[in-house]
Amino acid sequence: MPLKLKPAHRQELAAALAAATARGEAIAEVDVSALNRVIEHQPSDQTVTVEAGLTLGALQELLARHGQWLPVDPAHATRLTLRELIDANLSGPRRCGHGTIRDHVLGLTVALADGTLARSGGRVVKNVAGYDLAKLFIGAAGSLGVVTEVTFKLKPLPQAEEFLAAPGATLEAAAQLLEAVAGSALTPVVLDLHRLDPATPGVTVVAGFAGAREDVAWETARARALGFTAVGDLGHEPAFWSAPGAAHRLSVLPALVAPALRPLGAATFVARAGNGVIYHRGPAAAPAPPAPGPLAVMRRLKAAFDPAGIFPNPLPPPAPGAPPV
Amino acid sequence: MHPYGAARPILHKKWTAHSGAPRLLGLPGRDGLIELIGRIRRIGKTVPSTKPTLSRYLFACMTNDQPTPLSPAAIAALRELVGAENVIVGGDELLVYECDAYTIEKQLPHAVVLPKNTAEVAAVVRLCAKWGVPFIPRGAGTSLSGTVLAVTGGVMIALTRMNRVLEVDYRNRRALVEAGCVNAWITQAVKGRGLYYAPDPSSQSACTIGGNVATNSGGPHTLKYGVTTNHVLGFEFVLPDGEVCWLGTRPDGGEEVDGYDLRGVVIGSEGMFGIVTRVLVQLTRAPQSFKTMMGVFESVDAASQTVSDIIAAGIVPGAMEMMDQLITQAVEAAYHFGFPLDAGAVLIIELDGLAAGLERQADRVQEICRQNGAREVRLARTEAERLELWKCRKRAFGAIGRLSPNFLTQDGVVPRSQLPAIMRYIRACSERHGLRIPNVFHAGDGNIHPLILYDEREPDQVRRALLAGHEILEQCIALGGSASGEHGIGVEKIDFMARQFSPDDLAAMRTVRRVFDPAQRCNPHKMFPGSKRCADFAPRKQAAA
Ligand SMILES: Cc1cc2nc3c(=O)[nH]c(=O)nc-3n(C[C@H](O)[C@H](O)[C@H](O)COP(=O)(O)OP(=O)(O)OC[C@H]3O[C@@H](n4cnc5c(N)ncnc54)[C@H](O)[C@@H]3O)c2cc1C
Repeated sequence: MPLKLKPAHRQELAAALAAATARGEAIAEVDVSALNRVIEHQPSDQTVTVEAGLTLGALQELLARHGQWLPVDPAHATRLTLRELIDANLSGPRRCGHGTIRDHVLGLTVALADGTLARSGGRVVKNVAGYDLAKLFIGAAGSLGVVTEVTFKLKPLPQAEEFLAAPGATLEAAAQLLEAVAGSALTPVVLDLHRLDPATPGVTVVAGFAGAREDVAWETARARALGFTAVGDLGHEPAFWSAPGAAHRLSVLPALVAPALRPLGAATFVARAGNGVIYHRGPAAAPAPPAPGPLAVMRRLKAAFDPAGIFPNPLPPPAPGAPPV
Repeated sequence: MHPYGAARPILHKKWTAHSGAPRLLGLPGRDGLIELIGRIRRIGKTVPSTKPTLSRYLFACMTNDQPTPLSPAAIAALRELVGAENVIVGGDELLVYECDAYTIEKQLPHAVVLPKNTAEVAAVVRLCAKWGVPFIPRGAGTSLSGTVLAVTGGVMIALTRMNRVLEVDYRNRRALVEAGCVNAWITQAVKGRGLYYAPDPSSQSACTIGGNVATNSGGPHTLKYGVTTNHVLGFEFVLPDGEVCWLGTRPDGGEEVDGYDLRGVVIGSEGMFGIVTRVLVQLTRAPQSFKTMMGVFESVDAASQTVSDIIAAGIVPGAMEMMDQLITQAVEAAYHFGFPLDAGAVLIIELDGLAAGLERQADRVQEICRQNGAREVRLARTEAERLELWKCRKRAFGAIGRLSPNFLTQDGVVPRSQLPAIMRYIRACSERHGLRIPNVFHAGDGNIHPLILYDEREPDQVRRALLAGHEILEQCIALGGSASGEHGIGVEKIDFMARQFSPDDLAAMRTVRRVFDPAQRCNPHKMFPGSKRCADFAPRKQAAA
């Protein structure tokens, strides 16, 4: 029977992890939904400290009441806990303007396999005391510990935000438009390229602009002149992620988005053109094995933080016959 | 071949020019410890301040990590590797490397090596691994926390000869540079193409990108643009066993990298995980327009409130920097910008972005300044005037020379809303210890830089300066902040780690340290409070501090 945990508070979680490590018992699931308190929100400091079982949607709602937000926008925010957001390092269309959650975490508390609670960073916007351990846990798929508490750096909600689209273009025309944006003075917060219906050959480019009203007016006027003739929105994002079938990820230089899309044929996709990140439902490419040096360090990290292997292991298994770490 | 010479010196002591504290070039083994402690006691009688260096030596000695000179054969091997002209083992040349910009503690490395490429760095690191000798990565040596100090000697590997901008990819806004490249050179290299490298430490005309990566440097403009970790995509890295690898995004690769974010955890690790040799940075599009203002306030409190009010209004300036009266006077005497000499505080506020929206935002900022009693808000009318203002700000530390022979820079952080509280505390601290403490700092981030003025020829002033610094950082932590916003822990702030973090937090950090550097030879004796044994000596150090 694989172990499922639903701790009422983090001390209970820590004790359960220590026990699992002692028995060498793998944990199938940790439900942290009971750890959902807002610990501290200081609007004037633009920081918030919350437990990781809170959903992103609930957090954004609270922050919006103070004219603030956590500048990440992955799909399905209302059912996404902050722990899931951090474990998978999720992002959304506004990544182009605001980066990923790595850029917004100020401090992190993690329940480790040995039953300790380790905190790194802090609650202030600038802090270099100690190693930046949060970076290790963000995107680690829960393989090094269970995130219980996090402090974020916040931003004010923009005064205005507007989306434009250049629909139905060929991939070549879309590529040209993207180059034109890259060469212009525009600073889009969203620059997505998508095809949601395999039956339609065309692709759509969506650009978003946010900030002071005058800035947005200036940018949208320029963007229209470049070819963003239609009103746009971010409807493609939930639509893509709600569609059936596993999505695969490609990451390329921003300038190489169109060439990377070409071999995918009629597959549906959403591409963050400003970041060079493509999510698609075409054939999955065989993952390139990570270089041996970094991989060895990663394996040692995994072994050091989770010696009994109670958490999942996202690292590729060692080649047969390879010496143990 | 054993790298160490056969003849082990017992104890050389030599007085450092500034303090009279002994510099120990070699320590006896455990056997000689009793004798050593006896000597220290005797030194303690004649030397008024037992320097932190002393207890660090004892610690090093007790952990059997002894500074021992490299043997002639070892030095010959280093010379063979990188060329005799790139190895420094003595004389005035070596003295340059006895400390960084934190000058209270000094210690010579046994050798300084200046490699010309990654292969040489890796080869030197491999030799150190073979010999079991500590090595210390070094950039320009502008660190303010003693993080480059060769606590137990060893081989210092200075990256300053590897200083080229290798490639610029304008379309993807990336630059590949060598680790010894000076921060400001990157922006210079792409000037005219509408791009720049955003993190701008005040030391940017000297400090290296490798040093920036190791300390996760910030600067005035990190308020809006973030710190080094937000702008460094990846780097080439020499692990402590000499293996060369690439961490993070590759120069020709996408942003997303599979596996753990090793890049992220190396940034800010104070050179304790290995040596950065090449860095891939993300360039930022230069703002279309600036509005740079100088607000003149009656008091630091009023200026601090202005900072909070601007943030509360949903405005994110590129930078908000504060100078109090003492520093304004020093800067004015040095650079004649036209700062008022009788103002309690001057606030530099820079808005940047698209020209369209800036006008209205600038009006709003001026309004907020006036609401807080600003007697004057001056707008930089020309680009030259704007640059002049920034030059004064960035050279503020330099102006201190007019006020005092020595100063100790502190680097605490408080939540922005606590700025008035910490500034009041600093004032009280200054009065209590009878030392002047001017302040010039990143107000928008709550990152304070009290400059504690002292004269190193007066042992009691040194003592009081260290004590004042200590108290201020303790108060930062008590107010919910941090002992370091950008200068790092190094040797200087080791004691604060245990105040700011729990033993479990520190254990997790040490786990990562051991993963990267199992022998803990890479920049040793930094950041972490010592083992139990060392703690025996902590009271001595406290008394000294
Ligand atoms: C006047 C003045 C103003 C300053 N202003 C600021 C400021 O505004 N913001 C700020 O953040 N800092 C500031 N500093 C501190 C300092 O400049 C920074 O910490 C800077 O990043 C250090 O760079 P460096 O090249 O001088 O590194 P060094 O001082 O030589 O080294 C610093 C640390 O980095 C490590 N290191 C250096 N190079 C490498 C490498 N290639 N690989 C691995 N590790 C390496 C060293 O081991 C050491 O731990 C200031 C310092 C001065 C003197």
